[in-house]
Amino acid sequence: MVCMHTKIPLDEDQMPKSWYNILPDLPSPLDPPLHPGTGKPLVPDDLTPIFPMELILQEMSSKRTIDIPPEVQEVLRLWRPSPLYRAHRLEKHLKTPAHIYYKYEGVSPPGSHKPNTAVPQAYYNMKAGIERIATETGAGQWGSALAFATQIFGLECTIYMVRSSYAQKPYRKSMMQVWGAECIPSPSTRTKSGSAVLQKDPETTGSLGIAISEAVEDAATHGNTNYSLGSVLNHVCLHQTVIGLECREQLASVDEYPDVVIGCVGGGSNFAGISFPFAGEKLKGTHKETEIIAVEPASCPTLTKGLFAYDYGDVAGLTPLLKMFTLGHDFVPPSIHAGGLRYHGDNPTISRLVYDGVMKAVAYHQSEVFDAAQTFARTEGIIVAPETSHAVRAAIDEALKCRKSGEKKTILFNCSGHGNFDMSAYDAFYAKQLVDYEYPEQLIRESLSRLPKIPGA
Amino acid sequence: MCTLGFLVNPVAGMGGAVGLKGTDGMVEAALSRGAVPRSPGRAKETISLLRSIDIHFLTCSGAMGEEILSEEGISGYEVVYRPESEQTGAPDTMAACRAFLERNADLILFCGGDGTARDIYSVVGDSLPMLGIPAGVKMYSAVFAITPGAAAGIVREGCIKGGRFLFRDAEVMDVDEEAYREGSLRTRLFGIAKSPYRPGLVQGTKQVFEDPDEERAKKDIARFIKEVMEGTPDILYILGPGSTTAAIADEIGIRKTLLGFDAVKGGTLVATDLNEEGLLSLLGGGTRARLVISIIGAQGSILGRGTQQVSPAVLQNIGRENIIVVATPHKLAVTPLVFLDSGDREFDEGFGDHISVVSGYRVAQRKRIGKAPGEGEFP
Ligand SMILES: Cc1ncc(COP(=O)(O)O)c(C=O)c1O
Repeated sequence: MVCMHTKIPLDEDQMPKSWYNILPDLPSPLDPPLHPGTGKPLVPDDLTPIFPMELILQEMSSKRTIDIPPEVQEVLRLWRPSPLYRAHRLEKHLKTPAHIYYKYEGVSPPGSHKPNTAVPQAYYNMKAGIERIATETGAGQWGSALAFATQIFGLECTIYMVRSSYAQKPYRKSMMQVWGAECIPSPSTRTKSGSAVLQKDPETTGSLGIAISEAVEDAATHGNTNYSLGSVLNHVCLHQTVIGLECREQLASVDEYPDVVIGCVGGGSNFAGISFPFAGEKLKGTHKETEIIAVEPASCPTLTKGLFAYDYGDVAGLTPLLKMFTLGHDFVPPSIHAGGLRYHGDNPTISRLVYDGVMKAVAYHQSEVFDAAQTFARTEGIIVAPETSHAVRAAIDEALKCRKSGEKKTILFNCSGHGNFDMSAYDAFYAKQLVDYEYPEQLIRESLSRLPKIPGA
Repeated sequence: MCTLGFLVNPVAGMGGAVGLKGTDGMVEAALSRGAVPRSPGRAKETISLLRSIDIHFLTCSGAMGEEILSEEGISGYEVVYRPESEQTGAPDTMAACRAFLERNADLILFCGGDGTARDIYSVVGDSLPMLGIPAGVKMYSAVFAITPGAAAGIVREGCIKGGRFLFRDAEVMDVDEEAYREGSLRTRLFGIAKSPYRPGLVQGTKQVFEDPDEERAKKDIARFIKEVMEGTPDILYILGPGSTTAAIADEIGIRKTLLGFDAVKGGTLVATDLNEEGLLSLLGGGTRARLVISIIGAQGSILGRGTQQVSPAVLQNIGRENIIVVATPHKLAVTPLVFLDSGDREFDEGFGDHISVVSGYRVAQRKRIGKAPGEGEFP
């Protein structure tokens, strides 16, 4: 037995000093993002009204490593390096010969991986002289992470929170308040886009698409204000690679290398974070056999049932067109409890790697993932976020396959956040009120066959 | 203040306990087998929970209502109908309903079973909403509350809001009692009543936020199916009975028979109210067809209840993969399992354990298929 440790820590001074940029390791460059008006490839200046230049350059960088500014490292040290756990108790419960490891990102103050990018984003905006950041949040994880980060760098923060979650997750809103941010239920009368929606339907529950439109409008109409996105874009995924880089060191310290790497996918940031360093090795041929698995909800199966095409990032069609797997920018995913996985598209790099077969994707129903989350809580103790429970389900299923085949695989998954503010979702699970939403793929394809094509697609 | 027509079928449910599978025309047989009236107790349970509410009751004399109200200490009632004989029956129920209509009741609260619901519906149609306190032997209709307590809850909520109930369409099922006693369940969709409900999805699940408005949910389903039809102009669509499929017809701008099977192709109505023969002749010659069908009644039945026109032969022609099941999230929330009873067991079993039910715009729900048809008493 190599190691019977449960926690595999990493010293603070071993925390990564730079992020890993996977773009130069791709066999060919990504299809460029297109301007929504002209259909032409974007140039950096197209994005300056809402993003600081440093982030725009990262978005398109061809450098393999990008230094983490010391001021950012100092904040990340509040919780990083995060612990890697060997799930001995879960392994025993599953009677699997597999070794299961999980990287726990729930130790950050806001409770998820989201501050890994919120902190550098706030930092670069502060450096660029920006005074306020506007953003949207669905379930509240991203909003609370950005509130935490902006407060550290002395920026103001305005968060448009989808109205239904605003009512259902009061403590997320309280956290944002403690960190000094302003949290507004969306749609609001603060913006033109919000007012327009309210006028049409005062009872609307809101949606992520509407909240994005409000935040973008807020940023575009205020000189001192920028916009910030918590997932999907390449620079967000870049910042998350600290997760996988730490895992590689931690696993090496116990003489392991993963056979399987697993993460849940909303816009793709935590999955990119844990998998890109390993995907890079796979692309370079140093570890060709690693299986990399993205897990998504059956109700919003972007990677398993979407189309690989150019599409907008938001409902209104204001954002650049990205080449990605998409269910259509006007698709409103059903209201599953894993609010952070309700997104019609995915990060373009992940999309490309899935398309090329470097990574694969699986989808699960709500009741299946909560069942796994319960098993995890009853063995390892941690009550995971509904989003994270998707990764837990896939890890358990991989371990069960090993029980059948007798293989002793090393399975690594990203435990992206705790679910301490999501207990009503668990309540619904126990009350047997979870609805297993599905995506009627065949019918949707037929219904779309008459729609006009988007430019550039 | 709310005005409620309150009506009890004193003999409802009596046949069940003594194995008579229904009490219509069997009261004496039931009594001689030692049956005790069941509905008065059930009705009392509901009424006892309504004491503190400001309600004006319109009711019938004796066991058909008055006795229960006075025993439960309710004084604000008015007797609007007096049955001639102790032995009450369908004509008395119907006469009482006519009196409720004349007096502009807001709602009929009744205690009984499918037979009672059918009698009420035959008088009031969908012009006066009804809510059933479950007491009958069979309750395949969707107008019943789950329990007497739940019925009281619905009434309280609407009355406290000054009579502003939330209504939904609820199927009234006609069960052939003769056949039922012989061991075969033959039901027919008799009509679609209006029935009050509590938006359980919003209150129950707390976090998952659904639109409480069922009409809007029907529109969403209809919008989606219309787009599917537009994308497949060569497919013949057969729309089954019920208000969800009627919403689809509305969306494409055609007039559908509420209780029948109608055929649509390329946005135009091809045939209405088809029987088995009509369906088979439409389907002949390799026509590619799809069946759009909803959940009928309160027991989660998809094929078999109220859909006898769709015989095994018709289903074989259409093919399993061409059946599109539709239902609102509201209906699905109170339908834990769905049942297939098409008359062709192999066909039914081919669906496996789950079926996908279109429940909104570009969304479906996965529902478990129950193993035995949902027979007998309400849970
Ligand atoms: C705990 C947790 N995990 C995962 C996600 C999914 O986002 P992403 O795909 O960007 O990691 C979220 C998003 O809110 C989250 O809060």
